Amino acid sequence: MFQTGKLKPNRSIGGLIVPLAALLLFGMSAFLFGAPTGFFVMAGVFGIFALYSLLVIVRTGNLGWLVICAYQVFAAVMLFFAAQYLAGTRQVREEWKIAWVTGFIFFGVVIIYLGATKRIKWRGREILELAAAPVEETGNGYTPRPRPVGRVEFSKQEILAFARFCARHLIAVVYVSPRQATFVPVRMGSEDRFLLRVGGADLDSTWISFDFDGDVSVHIAQKDHLDFIEPLSFDKLCESLGRLFIEFAEMHRRGEGVRIIDRLDALRMSYFS
Amino acid sequence: MDFRTAARLGSLLAKDYAEDVFDLLVNYRAISASEVAARLDLHIKTAQDFLEGLAELGILSKEEVLEKKRPYFRYVLEQERIAFDLDLMQVRRPPSAESLLLRIRERENAGARFSVARSDDFITAVTIWTGQGRERQERRIKLTVPQGKFLFHLPFPRAEALTVAEIMRKAGVEETLSPEVLDLVQLLDKYAVLEKV
Repeated sequence: MFQTGKLKPNRSIGGLIVPLAALLLFGMSAFLFGAPTGFFVMAGVFGIFALYSLLVIVRTGNLGWLVICAYQVFAAVMLFFAAQYLAGTRQVREEWKIAWVTGFIFFGVVIIYLGATKRIKWRGREILELAAAPVEETGNGYTPRPRPVGRVEFSKQEILAFARFCARHLIAVVYVSPRQATFVPVRMGSEDRFLLRVGGADLDSTWISFDFDGDVSVHIAQKDHLDFIEPLSFDKLCESLGRLFIEFAEMHRRGEGVRIIDRLDALRMSYFS
Repeated sequence: MDFRTAARLGSLLAKDYAEDVFDLLVNYRAISASEVAARLDLHIKTAQDFLEGLAELGILSKEEVLEKKRPYFRYVLEQERIAFDLDLMQVRRPPSAESLLLRIRERENAGARFSVARSDDFITAVTIWTGQGRERQERRIKLTVPQGKFLFHLPFPRAEALTVAEIMRKAGVEETLSPEVLDLVQLLDKYAVLEKV
């Protein structure tokens, strides 16, 4: 098990803001316009959540999010019926309760399983911890420039296959251009600004670029560098992050993709971090 | 001919009345500024400055004439041809061995902003801020591709410094391009973006 903890503890509640806001919206709409309206609003909110989950599935190919999308659609439908029952426009059916309870149990168990096994977890924090693990030198030296790491002998197809693997396992959001594939490690709670982004990667974020000619370069955002407890040597950190991804790509090429996941899981980070 | 002389001569020849003045200088034995001004309908100061400029360059000679107690100059053409022979290589800065062996890296907290090419393998421009407070000014330096590749491989602050030659080798920049690379190094050193170690 790695010596973890070079990053500051995660105290961000960014990922909770949207669900809490939805809850508040439900409460206020119920209070102002009545309980049926509140449930209609909540059904609409779950519908929007389902569309967002669909976007995640399209962008990453992660099947765990298919379950979440299905749950959100299920919840939206159930809430829609609940609203109608409360409004009296439809007669209450016992079968609704059966559907609600069984569906809730099914999705609850499956989603908890997916969360516990980290199949729906964004791995940005693990990536940064693994990159920082071999770096002992401190001294800052931050610069906004990207750092060339070296050359690799991967074909375009191998790089794209590795990109699909990283996207599917939520290791990074991948942006593919005619010249390169850019991997952006994403942390839990901040994935929306990368998924909703149109065009190429945000060059101010942390990224690792694999040029199809073989050049690898790395950029670490100042925000991420400042998130380490100590001011780690920026040059060494960039090199380490680049080497980490090169190592991952080599492992994937050898058919050892599962070992990449094992290394990330070995850090034993909480789902919410 | 040096740059300054060539520039001065060029600016004189570029005047729209230059050919007319030379017409007079070639066809008259000697002529004064007032005669040129009257003949070509120019201000006397204009004619005087033009003729003095040519005299300073040796194209004309001037003789002082005393007439009616007021001395003045008459200008005589000394050259039948004006040839521009400007050796551009006089401003060439060949790279010295010492300059290529300079060990450099980016200076910490230099405050410069680097614009990276979309292909992420070279820097397209460097933006530097100079001055303080209200006098703060932004200067954007657009780079050539070799310069951009060189800068892309410049060692980070506090990283191990490399020589200019080593960085050029890493960046795949040919040695024949070293004058423009060294020009960039000089410029960035002037603005404290990089440091010599």
